[in-house]
Amino acid sequence: MNLANLARLRDEDLAGQVSTAPARALMESIVSEERAPAARRLRAPQRGRFRGPLPEWGGTRRALALGAVAVGLGVAVAIGVGLPGGPATRYANAAVSVERATDYFSVTVTDPAADPGRFEEAFRAVGLNVTVKTIPVPPDEVGRLIGPVVPDGFRGPGSIGVQDVEPCASAFCAKVWLPADYSGRVVFGIGRAAAPGEPYADDVVDPSSAEALDGYRSHGRTVAEVRDELRRRGLKVGYRLHWTLSGPGRPDGSFFDQRVTADRIEDGWVVEGSRHSSSDTVDLYVVPGPEAGPAPDPMAAYEAEPHWYDRTD
Amino acid sequence: MGADPHGRFVEIYERAYEPILGYVLRRCRDPEDAADVVAETFTVAWRRIDELPEGDEARLWLYGVARRVLANQRRGELRRERRTEALREHLASLPVLAHTRSPEEDFSTVGRVFRTLPDGDRELLSLVAWERLDTRQLAATLGISRNAVRIRLYRARRRFARALATAGVDHPHAAMLEGSSL
Repeated sequence: MNLANLARLRDEDLAGQVSTAPARALMESIVSEERAPAARRLRAPQRGRFRGPLPEWGGTRRALALGAVAVGLGVAVAIGVGLPGGPATRYANAAVSVERATDYFSVTVTDPAADPGRFEEAFRAVGLNVTVKTIPVPPDEVGRLIGPVVPDGFRGPGSIGVQDVEPCASAFCAKVWLPADYSGRVVFGIGRAAAPGEPYADDVVDPSSAEALDGYRSHGRTVAEVRDELRRRGLKVGYRLHWTLSGPGRPDGSFFDQRVTADRIEDGWVVEGSRHSSSDTVDLYVVPGPEAGPAPDPMAAYEAEPHWYDRTD
Repeated sequence: MGADPHGRFVEIYERAYEPILGYVLRRCRDPEDAADVVAETFTVAWRRIDELPEGDEARLWLYGVARRVLANQRRGELRRERRTEALREHLASLPVLAHTRSPEEDFSTVGRVFRTLPDGDRELLSLVAWERLDTRQLAATLGISRNAVRIRLYRARRRFARALATAGVDHPHAAMLEGSSL
């Protein structure tokens, strides 16, 4: 009857876990990451307010498998139909191939520029009723599969997730976890090259280690200083207030950002990080000064902005 | 704040890994997902090591981070990383989890009633019952005042007691948080 009995385990049951090899390996992996590199781009490869380290493919360009695109054009192949009318275990068309494994789906993106309908067709053929949108991204993220995003919150059983697979001979390879019979709204994004000046699809970043400019560290400088540097480089500037609930007396560790217009920003406020929001614009993440007033409700700030997965097109 | 971030992180990791792993395992439906939530939580700690409070306050700070990482995970905003593969396998095979269920799968009366509570109530009551936090620690973890904690806790307990009574549980107040002074 005690609520404590609902817990599947107690901390005491985990005594010694910190000394196990996987726990030690995780610690080593975390501390091997640079904490605040001087000039590293930190952008969009993974979704989530809190991000892990960049996957190791940063900077490498994938050659699109153009040969496969040409050969497969207009041809879709479904294999291993279980029940009459039931989902296939594998489906491939010119854009993507999806294969159902025991507890995940293998996804290989062949042509990121294909019509999103071709991706939806492939996912649905293997039993995943999802929406796919092509979204504008920076050049080094073209082809990347983003999601699964469950805008209304995931309800189990089962789990969701994505993990990229290396090496990959195609544009992008990943494993996707998603219950095959999941009935809620699920959205995937496929990164396409943004046009010059076109805003990149929104993404949540930890700006503390994000630097947009090569050879220049914005972190810790004033807004006026960084803005001058951007002008020198012929770049436009956008502003985001970087609200944080951590610090003395507020040991919470969470943070969020809020897009604001230039009139909400004071020149003397300090920049936390910077990030390209399009090829010609850099967003500054600015720590609000006392004049900024109290922080808004994080969810209200988040929902006030349009998100790529809610776009209708 | 220590001058050596690496040493400080190792110390915090060694002290907080098990409580944070416990916190996450008690709330993740799938033990394998817990590996990525734990990894993400400590990655945030490493990036923000200069902001981490001293002593046991660091554990409370990390609960706050883990809470938000879990919320992101539920929205599908957490990636499975290659570096957590070994930990995922390890957690999936933990003997202590072999015959247990996540709260979502607990079909006892208390379990069913608990699931009907608003998210905020569940979080508060579980921090008391499972992490055994007191009012000051709850305030630090949730980033709210102690007074706000007391008010929220009072309301959460009342709603839980009413729901238990409706479900036919006798003496619901006594049943809820045995062993807790709150």
